[in-house]
Amino acid sequence: MDIFIQQMVNGLTIGSLYALVALGYTMVYGVMRLINFAHGDLVAMSAFVGLTVYTQIFGENITSLVAVITVFVFTAAIVALVGVLLERLAYRPLRTAPRLSAVVSALGAGLVIQNSVMLIWGPNMKIFPSNIFPSTIWSFGGVVITFTQVMILGLSSILMVGLYFFINRTKIGTAIRAVAIDQDAAKLMGINVNRIIMIIFVIGSALGAVAGLFIGVYYRGVTFDMGWMYGLNAFVAAIMGGIGNIPGAMLGGLMLGLFNAMITGYISSQWAETFTFVLLIVILVFRPTGILGEKVAEKV
Amino acid sequence: MSEYILEIKNVTKMFHGLVAINDLSMKVKKGQIYGIIGPNGAGKTTLFNCITGIYTPEMGQILWKGKEIKGTTPYKIAELGILRTFQTIRLFAEMSVAENIMSGRHIKSKQKWYNGVIPTPAYFKDEKEQWMKVGELMEFFNLSQYATTPAGDLSYGVQRRIEMARALAAEPELLILDEPAAGLNEHETQELTDTIRKIQAMGVTIMMIEHDMEMVMSLSEYITVINFGAKISEGLPSFVQDDPVVVEAYIGSDEEDEHE
Amino acid sequence: MMNKTSMIALVLLLISGVYPFFVDSAWLAIGTTFLVFSCVAFSQDIILGRAGVFHMGHAMFFGLGAYTTAIMNVQFGLPILASWAPAVLIPMFVAFVLAGPIIHLRGDYLLVATIGFNIIFIQVLENDVFGLTGGPNGIFGIDVVRLFGFEFASQTYMYYMAFILLGITLFIMRTLDRSKFGRAMFYINKDEIAAQSMGVSVRYYKLYAFIIGAGIAGAAGSMFSVQYSAVSPEAFDVTQSIMFFTIVLVGGSASLPGVLIGTFIMFVLPEVFREFETARYLVFGLAMILTMILRPRGIWPVRFGNIPNFLKKDVK
Repeated sequence: MDIFIQQMVNGLTIGSLYALVALGYTMVYGVMRLINFAHGDLVAMSAFVGLTVYTQIFGENITSLVAVITVFVFTAAIVALVGVLLERLAYRPLRTAPRLSAVVSALGAGLVIQNSVMLIWGPNMKIFPSNIFPSTIWSFGGVVITFTQVMILGLSSILMVGLYFFINRTKIGTAIRAVAIDQDAAKLMGINVNRIIMIIFVIGSALGAVAGLFIGVYYRGVTFDMGWMYGLNAFVAAIMGGIGNIPGAMLGGLMLGLFNAMITGYISSQWAETFTFVLLIVILVFRPTGILGEKVAEKV
Repeated sequence: MSEYILEIKNVTKMFHGLVAINDLSMKVKKGQIYGIIGPNGAGKTTLFNCITGIYTPEMGQILWKGKEIKGTTPYKIAELGILRTFQTIRLFAEMSVAENIMSGRHIKSKQKWYNGVIPTPAYFKDEKEQWMKVGELMEFFNLSQYATTPAGDLSYGVQRRIEMARALAAEPELLILDEPAAGLNEHETQELTDTIRKIQAMGVTIMMIEHDMEMVMSLSEYITVINFGAKISEGLPSFVQDDPVVVEAYIGSDEEDEHE
Repeated sequence: MMNKTSMIALVLLLISGVYPFFVDSAWLAIGTTFLVFSCVAFSQDIILGRAGVFHMGHAMFFGLGAYTTAIMNVQFGLPILASWAPAVLIPMFVAFVLAGPIIHLRGDYLLVATIGFNIIFIQVLENDVFGLTGGPNGIFGIDVVRLFGFEFASQTYMYYMAFILLGITLFIMRTLDRSKFGRAMFYINKDEIAAQSMGVSVRYYKLYAFIIGAGIAGAAGSMFSVQYSAVSPEAFDVTQSIMFFTIVLVGGSASLPGVLIGTFIMFVLPEVFREFETARYLVFGLAMILTMILRPRGIWPVRFGNIPNFLKKDVK
């Protein structure tokens, strides 16, 4: 029983990270019908940016709430800027092109980001300092929860709830939903589609940056090519939930995190990916557009 | 077997709880030109989509030569001999006119499953035959000069002709035309009327949705009028034309009838 | 136009026919692999460029062919020739079984499902399920082709075997494009609903594309394993699948010259720039973006209108 609860805590932690990254995929997909294959590499990049910001501004040994907040805000801002640039340079020129051309452009952009990270920070693993968050640990019976886990769960919950209200309750959120349903109609109603897409990339990249930083703080070792693995898992989560659907990405992320943790805890980590994709395929066989994804009827 | 080639019995189709077609019945005789009219949004195209298998109605029967075809997948409907055109033209835009029409020969081609990889003498013969037929149709519809032109590059009127040629290439028993005159000028409409008569003369039964009253009244032998998914009138063109219910439906609706 | 294309084809044929006599062994190996990868790219193009199925797991079928030959030869001591038919048929069968349940999925859902199959395949290889695949190291010591006591051992033989394989592949592509099967795939690709309304079974022809594509990729895989006399999982992972996917789109979907150009750019050019190890993938990524922006339909896009001459008499 303890193992079960422990794996649940671990699973929810990694699941919220998947969910944060999945939101980036799903929001871009919802508005542009594009799988942003570069998103995972953006997440990896944020870990490196965050590390540099931390060491450059605060040095190795200073930890304070101000420092942590600064690192998060700075990193999110830089990565958001890269995300916007990515859209401008690699995706906007292809908005009217065949859909797969944009996919290739996204794959190319992923290569560019990944290899830029490698050239700037080197090909070797970088280690996050262990003292960014206090090393406080709570234990309940045999179940251990770290301060970092609480931070991850807390902050990602806040961000996700915030995003949900932003999308559903604000004017910009309404505009985002309108653009997702019908770009042309939204344009006719006076919505600036380019601006909405920019906002999508700012939000998606910033959420990815938070996830990337947390990955660094939680696992400590970061590599330039880790974006592929996290990106793929998050993308699978988005698909499971129903790509284009925001609550779907959150649900998919948490679900996948839990599922992964249970597989690693009870079966074997050697087969983790196999189980992930078997689950995905089973879900898709029964619900071809994911758990919360709506079936899009084509107008004839 | 009855004299009717297609019978629609009490068909109801709903979308998310909204009724698109309500308890609709009609009978089409072999060789007939059957007109369906009604204001926009009345459910005419939905009916065609039910017949051709794109939608499955919740209730009722659709009988083709006495056999239930409700719920049959679209490609099997085509194999049965029911072919259609679309209200919003759906051609394979990047492909040439000839290749578009060739799609109609798909169900008539006798190529074996291995002919996609291995050519045989029978395959060459079949390929030649199908292209010959495409040539005939291009001549019939006056399209030969566009044989290699991408269908999407041609004018609206020409595209409508390609769509009909494509459907006719499959040698249908029933040809379903969804607003064939939409977007055509007067001259093209006249040509279309003649073409439809010629197709009827080949022995093809025709069902047609059309807003051009002059055309539909002159061509149709029998007409059903639909409004809000339900039949409000039916009969010979002369009867339907003067039926007060029909007049009311057209005047009462938002639709402007530009032909009156 | 037709003449110009034929001229280019003839010159290319001549160059590739005498290529082995003018290069060193390293470049000969690159040439052979180029021919093998071209076959795989063409088979990917049947599924992606013709049937329009977003398939990003093609390296699995390539790998299935390679591992079939490797296992039959090294683990069971059978001659390479005996493995040729299974190396084609097993991927075809696997394609049929795996694609069946997912073929109705919409584009992007199918894309991630095919990535999934590829990843599962790699895990099966790495975890050495039946003790046959050699785990992460793969299988070494694959024999050469032997026929009537003759050994086709030299790299030059390898090159010409790959050359013949590409010839067969091109012949199949040409037959496919001029049959109701190839056309049905295009109709589905361009407009699924219109295609169905003309009597085309979407499921049948998408599966057909998958199965034929898998068979050709399997044959290429068998050739690949013999050329390097070894197989290992990383040669068939998702990265490779992405490469084949990209080759088709960069070169030009459903375009024979396009796919050859794509293979050249994506495989041969990186070999040329091997010295610039660190920066080359950066440049590569930039080139992918630029190509798509400048030529969204690929470098040499497909041209339709390939119809018999007697139908062109009225064309002005």
